[in-house]
Amino acid sequence: MSSPEHIHHPSPAQYWKIAVVLAVLTAVEVAIYYIHRDFDLGHFNTVLLLLLAALKFVIVIGWYMHLRFEKSTLSRFFTGGFILASALYTIVLTALGVIAIRGG
Amino acid sequence: MTELTHEASLEHAHPEHEGTGVDDRKLGMWLFLSSEFLFFGALISNYLLYSNRAGFPGVYPAEIYDIPFTSVSSFVLLMSSLTMVLAHNAQSRQDVNGTRTWLFATAALGAIFLGGQVFEFTEFIVNFDMKLSTNPAASAFYVLTGFHGTHVAIGVIMLLSLWGISRRRGGLSDKQGLNLELVGLYWHFVDIIWIVIFTVVYLLSVPPA
Repeated sequence: MSSPEHIHHPSPAQYWKIAVVLAVLTAVEVAIYYIHRDFDLGHFNTVLLLLLAALKFVIVIGWYMHLRFEKSTLSRFFTGGFILASALYTIVLTALGVIAIRGG
Repeated sequence: MTELTHEASLEHAHPEHEGTGVDDRKLGMWLFLSSEFLFFGALISNYLLYSNRAGFPGVYPAEIYDIPFTSVSSFVLLMSSLTMVLAHNAQSRQDVNGTRTWLFATAALGAIFLGGQVFEFTEFIVNFDMKLSTNPAASAFYVLTGFHGTHVAIGVIMLLSLWGISRRRGGLSDKQGLNLELVGLYWHFVDIIWIVIFTVVYLLSVPPA
């Protein structure tokens, strides 16, 4: 490994456990997709699927990409780019009517 | 004198930015990946803009998705992140055979994912006549998933290159170990982008009523 900070990285056994968690989350996502097709979960379907995707996203970045073990500079750069892109495209899609804002 | 030369060579191998204390190449890779969010964000937004808009001729992607097939593909790519991190771990323990095995496994899983994508595209074009120019929704779908596939293909080439170097030189040096770490970061990033695409494009997408 290239630098001392890596000594705190998870062990291979922990990586396998994380993979099992990711596989289960993917299976749950697909199950929700089929449940929604038969029973129409409404907006709950969207919220649930996005939350599961976000959880998988964070697990891969945090543990497999080791961001939670890295210096905060890297976290700031990476999350900064992600937040910038998310905010930009949320605004664009809202302005174009793809994302609906209810109320008023 | 020898000590000084050794220190100088280490500095050359892992140049660290004075302000951040992070290796320059590693910082560069994280910045590159961060900028990729904007790139893929634009393509995903483009798909969302047209995927549900009525009035276009031909079939819409959301009408013909094969969710069980794509779920297996997603699982394959997800597991390639496991093999990648195991390769990285093996390299850190100087386990040459382990590094080589897991690198090859990662490249093989990436190649399987790409094969699945080629099969999916062929199915869509041959059986459903949904081509790149059929309508804006199809166009947005092919451009988004095609660009992601291109990223996977580049990753596979980099993984096989590292595997080849390791085989030829009997292992990876410290400097090449950092290359493996950087390729690993790129590979995991390709995986997290697919996590988003799988959910937003495949599972949440609905054709126009």
